[in-house]
Amino acid sequence: MMRRVLVTHADEPIGRRTVKTLYHDARVAAIFAVGDGPPPRSFDRFLAEGAPRVTYARVDLARHRPVTDLFHSSAFRAAEIDTVVHVPRHGAAASEQAPLMAGIAERTAETRQLLQHCLESPAVENLVAIGSAFVYKLAPGNVNRLDEESELDLDPDVPPEIRSWIDCDMLLHGEVHNDRLRVVLLRAPTVVAAGGYVYLHPTLSGRSGRRARPAGFDPICALISDKDVARAIQCAVHARGPGIYNIAGSEALPLSLLARWTGRATWPLPGPLLSLASTGARLAGQSFDAALDGPHLRYGFTLDTRRAERDLGFHPQDRIGMARAGDGALRLETASA
Amino acid sequence: MSEPDPIETRVWDTEAVLADTPAGEHGPALGSDPFAELPGPDPLAARLELLDRAWRNAQPRRATPKAPLTALKREPQPAPVARPRPALKRRTPVLPTLGEIELPEPQGFVDHFLGEDARRVLAAFSHLVEAEGPYDRFGFSPDVIRRAFPFFHALYRGWFRVQSEGHANVPETGPAVLVSNHAGLLPFDGAMTVIDVALHSDPPRLARAIVDRWAGTIPWVNVFYARCGQVIGTRENFTELLDDGQLVLVYPEGIEGVRKTIAQRYRLQPFRVGFIEQALRSKAPIVPMAVVGSDDQAPVLYNVKTLARWLGLPVAPITPTFPWLGPLGLLPYPVRYRIVYGEPLHFHERFGPEGAEDTRLVRYLANQVRRAVQRLIDRKR
Repeated sequence: MMRRVLVTHADEPIGRRTVKTLYHDARVAAIFAVGDGPPPRSFDRFLAEGAPRVTYARVDLARHRPVTDLFHSSAFRAAEIDTVVHVPRHGAAASEQAPLMAGIAERTAETRQLLQHCLESPAVENLVAIGSAFVYKLAPGNVNRLDEESELDLDPDVPPEIRSWIDCDMLLHGEVHNDRLRVVLLRAPTVVAAGGYVYLHPTLSGRSGRRARPAGFDPICALISDKDVARAIQCAVHARGPGIYNIAGSEALPLSLLARWTGRATWPLPGPLLSLASTGARLAGQSFDAALDGPHLRYGFTLDTRRAERDLGFHPQDRIGMARAGDGALRLETASA
Repeated sequence: MSEPDPIETRVWDTEAVLADTPAGEHGPALGSDPFAELPGPDPLAARLELLDRAWRNAQPRRATPKAPLTALKREPQPAPVARPRPALKRRTPVLPTLGEIELPEPQGFVDHFLGEDARRVLAAFSHLVEAEGPYDRFGFSPDVIRRAFPFFHALYRGWFRVQSEGHANVPETGPAVLVSNHAGLLPFDGAMTVIDVALHSDPPRLARAIVDRWAGTIPWVNVFYARCGQVIGTRENFTELLDDGQLVLVYPEGIEGVRKTIAQRYRLQPFRVGFIEQALRSKAPIVPMAVVGSDDQAPVLYNVKTLARWLGLPVAPITPTFPWLGPLGLLPYPVRYRIVYGEPLHFHERFGPEGAEDTRLVRYLANQVRRAVQRLIDRKR
């Protein structure tokens, strides 16, 4: 069955990769890409063809009016969108001057707006969303093996970055059994891309540089490449059933090694000192306290992906490793196995 | 006047033993299996039967059935299931046998002191993560165990002078649960068991010990445990290991085993039952085993519970050497370890995965395993 897909945040790396993957999928008739910024340059060849299958629009998804306008626009109606792929924002707010907390709050607002409009729009039948696997409650230990039934971390002290992902998760979870709208939620661990881009990890995502971590803890981080995330979305777009699925690649690395490979060296600091700094930052109203301390810096996890393999037919194809770049520096690289 | 309930009498006897009643008229001697010397049928089985009868009697009865008998038949109820899980695809890591492994060159100074078999075992372990990169999904690293192995191998040979028997009872392949007693302040019994299983199995098997969650909160220790193949005791971890066809080592006494004072040594504490549920669900045999010697490696004279609570520790021990010698006082005495593996118990063949949903059955089976381990301990003391 041919699909006509809307992709959110198509100007961010995961969104771009998703558009590219769906573009080369013969079962996708049209792609309506939306993002905060101007269309990425990599879209030029998609948009320049005679009868382009890709349309791009700038929309602020966190605000009610622009989203309403989008869903009622003639371009949207003409595209006859039946599937919405939601790739939540990376973390930064739409405005560069806005603090990090604004970006976190916008993520939840966007998901709420989008879900509401998908429920109200009669044409939209499928909603595929990326969620974070950091929503799970982590038991003390270097590695926790988690499946989709594992408990979510509903502790009120959870860092706001993770809290926003939990809010998004629960919004979508509430509609998984909706009769009309098929909702698929893909919980992904740390997403990495060639060159050191990191998505979803509460501490490592964002710009490169040094980070603090508690000394004596080096949790295992499950990984997935951006290409495999796009493949998982592609599988979910064409699958039949709704549900929540864990997706992950075959690699898992300790936090310290992952940080080094992605150009984000870590400073191991004594736990009490880190907690003190985090509390001080929170009291001072600073938003970076989430990155300073949290269960994800002490306890790691890997994901049981058998449900996604069985129901979606998703199998990770990329291997993640180190490669020497042209300038001689070692960089993280992903390649098909 | 009716006869006294034999079950109640035996329960009283058992409690008398647990309360350190000296050998005599009330029951068996201190430290021996409290069940073994009791006459008559198994008290737990009888107790189960009694509970079952009481439950049946408590069901409401219809005095005058107004409908035909067939209509009174209850609709078959679906068996309760814990949580829906997708079909499992077993991913048993197949290691090469010792004969198939090319003897690697010694990579460091200490490798020269390892025997050929030990070096082959280490080479075999590297195949455990062959398809997954430097770490497996539980954080196990062959590189770390290669560095740690010589130290623990020296302890195995020189300090604890381990003697072991019954290796044929450990399955060569497939999932299995090793159930052992636990004692000693530092878990050298676990380390020696892992070494012993590795050295006496072909193809070599890495026993994945299930460790208490508290261990996961200790800086550096949590990382070392994970890199050496130990796994935090969560339901998902346990299930995944068994579904992978791995050999899992559990200590159902939990932290209570470590808290045992010298008066309770070689007397098993009550068993937790989670391992029975997992073994039934994953159709894994249970191999009872005993480690004799660990109770003597650091005898706890007194456990200062208040201090332990203040410090957030599971135990605050006073031993003949601790705290008098500082941290050195925690080191184990050079006692000889005797490890014995018992006959495997194939509960899953009789009760099936659905047996895991019956809490009374699970409790009963856990006590059966406890009795088997206690018997092995008594035999080797």
